[in-house]
Amino acid sequence: MTASFPKLTSDANIGIAGAGLLGKLLAWRLSTAGFRVSLFDAASMSNPQCAAHTAAGMLAPISEAAESGPEVYTMGVYGLERWSQWLNELGTNAATCIHQNGSLLVAHPQDENELHQFLADTHKLRAEPGCSIQQVQSAELQQLEPDLSRQFQKGLLLSPEAHLDNRQLLQHLHEQLSLPQVSIYENTSVSAEPFCIKNKNTAERHTFDLVLDCRGVGARETLANLRGVRGETLHLETTEVILNRPVRLMHPRYQLYIVPKPDHRFVIGATQIESEDTSPISLQSSLELSSAVYTLAPAFAEARIVEAGVNLRPAFANNLPSVTDQPGLITANGLYRHGYLLAPAVVDHVMDVIQHTCQSPFGTLFKSPNNCSSNTTNLSSEPVYE
Amino acid sequence: MQSDELTLYGKTFTSRFLLGTALYESPEQMRDSVSASGAEIVTLGLRRQNPSAGDGERFWQHIRETGCTLLPNTAGCKSVKEAVNLAQMSRELFDTDWVKLEVIGDDYNLQPDPFALLEATQELISQGFKVLPYCTDDLILCQKLVEAGCQVLMPWGAPIGTGRGLLNRYALKALRERFNCPLVVDAGLGAPSQAAEAMEMGYDAVLLNTAVAKAQNPPLMAKAFAGAIKSGREAYLAGLMQTRQTASPSTPTIGQPFWHQQKT
Repeated sequence: MTASFPKLTSDANIGIAGAGLLGKLLAWRLSTAGFRVSLFDAASMSNPQCAAHTAAGMLAPISEAAESGPEVYTMGVYGLERWSQWLNELGTNAATCIHQNGSLLVAHPQDENELHQFLADTHKLRAEPGCSIQQVQSAELQQLEPDLSRQFQKGLLLSPEAHLDNRQLLQHLHEQLSLPQVSIYENTSVSAEPFCIKNKNTAERHTFDLVLDCRGVGARETLANLRGVRGETLHLETTEVILNRPVRLMHPRYQLYIVPKPDHRFVIGATQIESEDTSPISLQSSLELSSAVYTLAPAFAEARIVEAGVNLRPAFANNLPSVTDQPGLITANGLYRHGYLLAPAVVDHVMDVIQHTCQSPFGTLFKSPNNCSSNTTNLSSEPVYE
Repeated sequence: MQSDELTLYGKTFTSRFLLGTALYESPEQMRDSVSASGAEIVTLGLRRQNPSAGDGERFWQHIRETGCTLLPNTAGCKSVKEAVNLAQMSRELFDTDWVKLEVIGDDYNLQPDPFALLEATQELISQGFKVLPYCTDDLILCQKLVEAGCQVLMPWGAPIGTGRGLLNRYALKALRERFNCPLVVDAGLGAPSQAAEAMEMGYDAVLLNTAVAKAQNPPLMAKAFAGAIKSGREAYLAGLMQTRQTASPSTPTIGQPFWHQQKT
């Protein structure tokens, strides 16, 4: 890592390993800024394997910060604002991919203490500007979400929160990349080195002025302290239920949410299991997910399960993102369960490093040793190259 | 003060605080909390991590790095067969014959199934395991677990994750009076004062997870519990005074000059 990262000429050739959310966003921002970009991904663009494809696309800085700390709130609020701007830049179709209706937290009457716990956990956060948490009673709940089961009598409305139609968004982003200055290499499994991206199968080497490694869990082989955290989701389809915003069910042992998607679809997520297991969804997890959604609105009983997703969230020891740079290579990884929420902060920071604009408010956050109290090096939060 | 060590299955420990490794914000926070707790034994659950494929390895590495004695648990198992299989897998993965045996009988409050627990204990002890059973506070169950070969008992204070403290003091005291083996209050504690109370009763150690992991500052809460556990232990060793029915002044008041002065 160096403060004197060499400045690139405006027509520099940049290689990006990984066409997940970070890779695609960076390819778009960099090509728009005039750079030549080559984007590599192990999967095909029509059948993406990235965590961003599996994700539910919530932009929930308050709920996420309650579990993950104040840094996530700061970066998340920044992300919310940035997404609105970016989606407008991406065009009128993309601009409809964000829904700013807030999100709703509910608990069964016997678990109402979970709502109080949430209020306690967000006590400090509520002093932050724009952090609105409103307690709502049954009449108001029904007005907000008429299809929600009547058994819920209390809830919390987090009005600043939003959600994205993430698959449509990824598609719009992809369309932006069909420019002459962007080359796409799909079905190409690669490794990333300073100034070079190497095809793992053919050993072919592509050289660049700069390489960005955004491979998520795919970078495990070089980042010894990066781990994958399994998440499982169910995709449902039904015309019998309409939800206007994501609803989170607070339960003593798990928190599950349901996010409305276009075409009468819903994503229920997500389990969080400390394992790099990518085998299909377990029965236990599908029971937890489906019973949660069934209690939220019994009309989901006849919904069709159209997909069961399994993927790994890339995470460092502190579960916060990290960006490191050295001549010829920038690594951005570890967005964990906050991909869409934190991507704008990470992308703008990377752009800042590349363009020497010194505008990123997150430099210290990504570059600090992340408060790791441990003296052992191989599991600290900074990426460690093997 | 002379050394006051905890001995479990022949291994000695200076800390009487056993801590769980689940539910933290991040592995880093878990490690900071273990470090602040001074715990020398940590528990870990494998049930949902597909342990046979070793897919949890990068996370387990964080737990190994705490340097603590590992106590794999069978959390999430609901039958004898599941628990025995998982214990065998844990023994291979972590090279330890210790197991915190949990067999859950009720899904909602995670109450142990005493019948399945006893059966699984007998089976695992016959296979050479050192079983630390998570049990209810039932005297007869505890007797049968000891007869089966358990050298430690771990009765609950309250159901897992409830933070309600010692719900049945009478039963917990009865266990202390009846058993000489180490007793660990496992589960249900929410506040350090509750841990201190268990130690004052003469319990040998305390095991918990949620109360620390779900605190707003887990490392600080870990430190708070460590202090309470130490205090409670010292109070037990020092010998608590007996409570009395009526207040008795520590010095006789009659005949003492100026005794009305305290009113002014």
